[in-house]
Amino acid sequence: MTETPARAAPFASLLGICKSFAATCAVDDVSIDIYEGQVLALLGENGAGKSTLMKLLYGVHEPDRGKIIVDGPGENPISSPLDAMRLGIGMVFQNFALIPALSVRENLLLAWPDTPVVIKKIKPQNDPVLKKLYEIAPQIDPFQKVGSLSVGEQQLVELCKILNLSTRLVILDEPTSVLTPAEAERLHGFVRSLAENGVGVVFITHKFSDVKACADRIAIMRRGQLIEDVEAQSIDHDGLVRAVMGTDATSRADPPGPPKSDQPRLQIRGLSAHSRNEVLEDINLNIASGEIFAIAGVSGNGQSLLAEVVAGVHQLDDGDVLLDGTSIARHASAQIMKPHVAYIPEAPRINGCVEDLDLGLNLALRDLSTVGTKPLANVRAELEKFDVRPPDPAKKAGDLSGGNLQKLVIARELADYGKAVLAVYPTMGLDIEATKAVYARIFSMAAAGAAVLWISEELDDMLESAHTIAVMRSGHIVEQFKNSHHLTRQKIGALMTGAHDA
Amino acid sequence: METDLMALVGVWCAATLRSATPLIFVTLGESLGQRTGIINLGAEGEMLVGALAGFAVATQTDSASLGLLAGALAGGVLSLVHSALVLAARANQIASGLAVMIIGIGLTSYIGRAFVGKKVSSLDNLLPSGGEALAFFGPFLQQTTLAGPLAIAAAAFISWWINNTRSGLHWRSTGESAEVTLSNGINPIRIRFYAITVGGLLAGLGGAILSVDYTQTWAQEMTKGRGLIAVGLVIVAGWRPALVLPVCLFFGFTEAAVFKLQAMGITFSSHLLSTMPYVTVILVLIFAHLRARKSSQMPNDLKAVFQ
Repeated sequence: MTETPARAAPFASLLGICKSFAATCAVDDVSIDIYEGQVLALLGENGAGKSTLMKLLYGVHEPDRGKIIVDGPGENPISSPLDAMRLGIGMVFQNFALIPALSVRENLLLAWPDTPVVIKKIKPQNDPVLKKLYEIAPQIDPFQKVGSLSVGEQQLVELCKILNLSTRLVILDEPTSVLTPAEAERLHGFVRSLAENGVGVVFITHKFSDVKACADRIAIMRRGQLIEDVEAQSIDHDGLVRAVMGTDATSRADPPGPPKSDQPRLQIRGLSAHSRNEVLEDINLNIASGEIFAIAGVSGNGQSLLAEVVAGVHQLDDGDVLLDGTSIARHASAQIMKPHVAYIPEAPRINGCVEDLDLGLNLALRDLSTVGTKPLANVRAELEKFDVRPPDPAKKAGDLSGGNLQKLVIARELADYGKAVLAVYPTMGLDIEATKAVYARIFSMAAAGAAVLWISEELDDMLESAHTIAVMRSGHIVEQFKNSHHLTRQKIGALMTGAHDA
Repeated sequence: METDLMALVGVWCAATLRSATPLIFVTLGESLGQRTGIINLGAEGEMLVGALAGFAVATQTDSASLGLLAGALAGGVLSLVHSALVLAARANQIASGLAVMIIGIGLTSYIGRAFVGKKVSSLDNLLPSGGEALAFFGPFLQQTTLAGPLAIAAAAFISWWINNTRSGLHWRSTGESAEVTLSNGINPIRIRFYAITVGGLLAGLGGAILSVDYTQTWAQEMTKGRGLIAVGLVIVAGWRPALVLPVCLFFGFTEAAVFKLQAMGITFSSHLLSTMPYVTVILVLIFAHLRARKSSQMPNDLKAVFQ
């Protein structure tokens, strides 16, 4: 299947695999070989069947049809993750299996097969359970609680945990979706070094940057089928996009025109606030009608608190928020939200929906006190318009996948035109097509006069579309730029991490 | 004069330790359970069952140690009800704990009538006679049995075990997240079963020490809520077995003080006086709670019980 002629026998071969869940066919007759010492990028849209295919290999699910051969011709049946682990296959899922209240070392010991009965305190340098950690992430203190680590560091700990099981194949399920750009770059480097040391890596992703950075071979899935399986250098960006999306639509969302006036529409004046983990000090921002104002920053530096305060969800300590000159800071959020302010919160599963209610009620959440629920036909039309799958108004919100839940919240918040849009990581977990649709919607709201406050870590998207970019760190706006081609990723990245002083 | 003072301190220490010993065992058992994500209000019932079984066996065999053994077993057997309800039938832990408590109270009240008024001999004192020359240790050892040092050793051992062994790590991880523990190939249900059973054994032992070794009588509902106090003391101790010891000794000291005051002929209402240990526990609990609100040591899966 690969074009490399003289390669050793594959470590794992999947032959004619089919898997259906209820009526939907998730994986449809896929055959693929996986080699040690090679990074295979498994690329595709949300719901293309990438994760399902790898969960079949890892023993989470069993295939309906087809055969999985691991490690030579002998029979090595995989019917549970335990079987897979025994064969040297490890998988890092999107939500980590770590315990925040225990230290890094204790988390590693928990999964380590050779943990002694009495755990002695050993010098970290000589501790066999910490060997991998020292290779990968020497900056992580093994006695620190996992809960105090950043998401990127937690992912590295999870990875060490898997590698401690002397793994021959590591499957990473969309590992960069939770990482900052700098953390993602470090992960790319680490994946490369794994492959150079003879470990096979399957990198599930829908980001092209991941593919460019570290893939040897690219397999592309669409609607459960394997569309392409090629060497990385033999396909270019446009070819990738075409293969992933099945269309020639390679363009991004049209960026909006410049704001019509510089009359501030959304004003934040001397704002201070604090929550358990974040503080804001003396934030001053003016966003004009039609302006797209992006805030870049490593998550946890106060951006989401800022959005919550502006949305009226969180109390402010000092300062004011004005919309068209009227203070909205000290009003109940119900009074200022729809129709005036659209709010796409961080972590929509927790902050943006009621999991136990159906999609119809979730769409109508903002209107329940005034209008009541919407007619069923309208609900279905709206769900379809924003491509929420499945568009079934009676389905519970909690049953949706992460990407579709994000689309549901966006459908509710961006259905009508308002005066301001607060978008916190609005495209998190979305594939190219959905991302494009969300951007197009936000930009058209800006074109219609809304002030847009856009909090994101997608630097490339910001540089392409935002009118103004501010960088936030430790609860302060560090710098604010008019967007121009002089502004680079590196410059913003350095400001985000505080490395610009050097 | 100075030797008199030292002797007095020795007597007070002995009284404090003796009063605290039953509570130390129950609280250790309860804290082990809570560290694995299980709250057991049934500790009160398990303690009572242990107290009665221990007392009964001690009177029949005339052996205090056999009595303590029987008490521990009785507590362990009653804890199986909590295991069955919570782990097998997935019942609510609070409701199941209350059920176990009521079973314990009812059973012992009914069966215990036959034992009211009987006498039993306690464990031997560590120093039967002599030793008056030893200023502090003489009086202390004369009024201390093996149970007290055993309680201190148990607290030290459990504290070391849970922090420094593989099995201790498994117990702690079970309390934080049964799901993650399971994904590491460790069965959290089995660990919780062990924890409930060990908790029952320790509660039963504590109860038996109370009736056989400390008061040397049987009276209906003689534990007077110590099993429930233990649930609160676990929180005061911040779920750390090492801190169970000072916390329980403080309760023991207050109780010893009440007895001494009564012995000195204070005419203040004896009923009100005997609530003193409980009032102090509530005060300490409030204080501990205010402090704990800042950084919670509570095992994560235990929170689910209250949701």
